[in-house]
Amino acid sequence: MSFFRYQLPTIIVTTCGIIMLLAFFTPFDIFTTIKANLTQWMVVIASTSIWLGFLYMCNAQYHMLKRNPTRSQKILFVTPFAFFLLFFIVGISFPKDTNSPQYLWLFNNIYSQVSMTITGVMFFTLSSAAYRTFRASSIDSLALILGGLIYTLRLIPMFPYFIPWLVPVGEWLLLVPNVGGGRGAVIAAALAAMAVGLRTLWGREVVLKEG
Amino acid sequence: MSGNKKEPRIIWEKLGDLDYRWLYGLSIILMVIPIIQPIGLPTQVGEATKGFYNAIVNLPPGSVVCVLFSGSAGYADEQEAGFVATWKVLFEHNLKVIFVSTAVDSEIILNNELGKMVNPESYGKKYGIDYVRLGYAPLDEVGQASFAQNIRGIFAKDVYGTPLDEIPLMKDINNYQKIDLLYFQYLSCTDIEWVIRQWVVPYGTKAIVSCTTACGPMAAPYYPKQIQGFIAGSGQGTELEILSKNPGRGAVLSDSKNFGILGLLLFIVFGNISYFGKKFGKRGE
Repeated sequence: MSFFRYQLPTIIVTTCGIIMLLAFFTPFDIFTTIKANLTQWMVVIASTSIWLGFLYMCNAQYHMLKRNPTRSQKILFVTPFAFFLLFFIVGISFPKDTNSPQYLWLFNNIYSQVSMTITGVMFFTLSSAAYRTFRASSIDSLALILGGLIYTLRLIPMFPYFIPWLVPVGEWLLLVPNVGGGRGAVIAAALAAMAVGLRTLWGREVVLKEG
Repeated sequence: MSGNKKEPRIIWEKLGDLDYRWLYGLSIILMVIPIIQPIGLPTQVGEATKGFYNAIVNLPPGSVVCVLFSGSAGYADEQEAGFVATWKVLFEHNLKVIFVSTAVDSEIILNNELGKMVNPESYGKKYGIDYVRLGYAPLDEVGQASFAQNIRGIFAKDVYGTPLDEIPLMKDINNYQKIDLLYFQYLSCTDIEWVIRQWVVPYGTKAIVSCTTACGPMAAPYYPKQIQGFIAGSGQGTELEILSKNPGRGAVLSDSKNFGILGLLLFIVFGNISYFGKKFGKRGE
């Protein structure tokens, strides 16, 4: 059992990883062709995983309902399935599928509105968090606040209109110090990714072992 | 302790501990002002937007532009001005455009907006000859690597079910070699690296990107070497509208959002006044 659970995935990941590396670093077309075929599988896997996600959601909802069989939890249990079924049935029932006026009505009037509301709520949550935490308690945080303030004010047309120097200063902040810091972060992330990649290829990565 | 008498709070403490609902209320009021009365102040165009625009207009006639579109309904306020203005610029010039949707909502947004807000036919463009829509595929980084190498491996047919070999525009196009410019529109800040890793570095494909305002600083390190330009959020989307002389909804959207942020900035200032007030107040005691 442990072979199928641990060794086999490691062998598959290592083989695929080595092929990807060979396709990038060697001039042989065979590896490029294999890479093209393997990466196509990703699209298939991603499409299938939508249903896997649905099954996970069902499982999680069911266990939450078992743990907490209250009326409000029952409503929370039924609501996502009701909307899922509504969108699914409307999506397959009318000509043009998801381009049908019926589906577009649902999309424009329910999905889009809920989606935008969530984004809006996020803005307010972030605002209150920023108010609590953005204190110039050190040189680093002062630099962050000033940089963020100038960059934001530069984007609001009213401020560059009255304070023209905000544009060159905002551009300079974005394209000079930010680029330096950003490149440092990218290099650090790349080195860390290499370390994780090598550990994965060797089957030493904890995530692979513990699932 | 419930039995203790409440000590009177000094002004610094009050300023640093305001009820969030004041912030929310102020932000909402400020957001509504530009919607009711558009501000209409001149916008200055930044370097990255100029680079973005020039990358399109400097393409030779007949060049192929691939649009990897991941529009989201929830972020329409951030994205719409940028991608609508870009589509207009693409259709205004003699370019061939391939549309690919890479997120679940994108295809529906494309259906909604391509034809209504931007009508290719009104620019004299014909489907299959000047532009084509391949439909949706979950093209994350690995998907893009596959797409760059073999388009037909992912899309055998276009969105209307026509085999790609029967579409004049797609006859000779099956990989990165015939794509002159990639326009990647994305949501998650680190997604920019997909284009860099799977298109720019291995094949030297020219690329421009658009993202949300918050992702702009993460796109900047790649400009102007790896990407020719970028548009971050509705602010730079408005800049593109102005630069390309295609006025749209960008100005109202970005003014509204930016005014909403003014409330936050004011509260951050309050928070810091409170912080320093408390700090120096204690020293003085």
